[in-house]
Amino acid sequence: MTSAEPTRVGGRATAVAPGGVPGVRSVGRRRSPAADVATYLVLLAGALLTLGPFALSFMTAFKSPQQFASEPALTLPKPFTLENFSTLFTGSYSFISPIAVTAQMVAVILVGQLVFSIMAAYAFAKLRFRGRDALFWVYLATLMIPQVVIVIPLYVMMVQTGMRNTFWALVLPFMFGSPYAVFLLREHFRSIPDDLIDAARIDGAGDWRILWQIVVPLSRGIVSTLAIITIVSHWNNFMWPLIITTGRDWQVITVATANLQSQYNANWTLVMAATTVAMAPLLVLFGIFQRTIVESISLTGFK
Amino acid sequence: MRHGRFGAVLLAPSLFGLAVFLLLPILVVIWLSLNRWDLLAPMRFVGLDNYVDVLTDPTFGNSMLRTVIFVLSVIPLQTALGLFLAVLLSRGLPGSGVFRVIYVIPWICAPLALGVVWKWILAPYDGALNNLFGLSVEWLSDPAWAMPAVAGVTIWSQVGYTTLFFLAGLAAIPDTLVEAAQLDGASSWQTFWQVKLPLLGPTMFFVLVTGVISAFQAFDQIYALTPNGGPQGTTDVIASRIYLEAFQGGFNLGRASVMALVLFVILVAVTLVQQRFFSDRITYDLS
Repeated sequence: MTSAEPTRVGGRATAVAPGGVPGVRSVGRRRSPAADVATYLVLLAGALLTLGPFALSFMTAFKSPQQFASEPALTLPKPFTLENFSTLFTGSYSFISPIAVTAQMVAVILVGQLVFSIMAAYAFAKLRFRGRDALFWVYLATLMIPQVVIVIPLYVMMVQTGMRNTFWALVLPFMFGSPYAVFLLREHFRSIPDDLIDAARIDGAGDWRILWQIVVPLSRGIVSTLAIITIVSHWNNFMWPLIITTGRDWQVITVATANLQSQYNANWTLVMAATTVAMAPLLVLFGIFQRTIVESISLTGFK
Repeated sequence: MRHGRFGAVLLAPSLFGLAVFLLLPILVVIWLSLNRWDLLAPMRFVGLDNYVDVLTDPTFGNSMLRTVIFVLSVIPLQTALGLFLAVLLSRGLPGSGVFRVIYVIPWICAPLALGVVWKWILAPYDGALNNLFGLSVEWLSDPAWAMPAVAGVTIWSQVGYTTLFFLAGLAAIPDTLVEAAQLDGASSWQTFWQVKLPLLGPTMFFVLVTGVISAFQAFDQIYALTPNGGPQGTTDVIASRIYLEAFQGGFNLGRASVMALVLFVILVAVTLVQQRFFSDRITYDLS
């Protein structure tokens, strides 16, 4: 997990020549207008290519099927219609349930991952017990286990315990914390001075109080990073829900979108409304917390 | 041992999760790989039969080939484009921060949803791409185009993520090193290749290892774009083969388990090889 330091990169200040000796030009920042223009052109092309598919799909979601069929993809929705969304949320498609199931699933996994990873990380960072380092090594080794490898045995285990196609099957494998979260939190907890903890203990604070009222508040940054990681990766999770649920009861949003697409292949305005709904919550979250999220990614390399 | 009891309470839930949902499945998948079972008929121990069966099966051979083609198409392009954009952004022109945020957007979205969006864009008759450029290419059902299309969508959704890491890596290079090179008369081209790129070793290692590992497991967007292995099996990558083998077409759990274990061994090997390759080259520790 050799990730580089989280550094502010975008609007980085120009370096001053070392020592600021007068007459020594800061050679690292030679500027030529032509190079600047070329840079902007490439960056703009990249932005257009990135945003284009989103713009096209959102536009399509607000078009009537008639307009979609008769006019080119680039035309704006006219009339601007919410028909696709109302179809999506009513009748046989009913996208309400997948959203509710996904939200519940993410909430339970989020609370479980945070609480249990924080507890384990604190034990590894601040407590002394026999076998601690060997055990931590086991945690690190499990980072190598890819999801594709364990979905088959997990599926069999769920079938054998009668939990296939239940809410528990969706959340249990993920709600006891992740080795990766434990690893990240442990790094941070170790940087909290022991003196602080000892002082709190002398003042009469118990073990649990020290953890939740002193250590956790001091780690707000990394905890919110982990919260974002968990929300994004589980809102977007597809393979496990696809395998472990059948029918509509516990269908999550990604599975519902995939099913809608394969059933109503030609009805693209409806399908684009579905992808818009599937992506919207995270895009809104990203809009609000973009800075934190961008920095969380470079800090942790989460996937 | 004064923390014994508190420590046990703190660790219990996480240890339970680790043991039951990560370590036990590894044992179960090994056990399944030695048996023939479809969840219905009684399980039958067949020793290494599944291994012989899978490793001599042309369908599996095709999947391995398709996976390698996919990884080799995605990783170099994604890495080079990510590095290129990072170098442009690191010039620090006004507005660079906005571009950085824009490039990450696809990465925050569900690969499945993006796959469905692109399925429309690449659709032959009413898709946006053919529509905009007046083409009539069957991007997803022509065996010649399916793999490039799937790889292209993957690159599109991940370049921004790669860019972020190279940006952080570039920013961590001390200005004094770059300035020293330029005072010695190095051009920006030389400075990039001979000073900055070698110093990006650790970032490159991270980007390549995580990139290769996730490309080997790619599933969601491929499932959305070209279900059932694509036209003539041209996008039947390993994760899609494991899924089809285990859950669509008779629950061949033994064979699917062998494939999952082969993938596991490959991923561990990739990590170790890349680690060895880069350990000689990492000259500057960024951490």
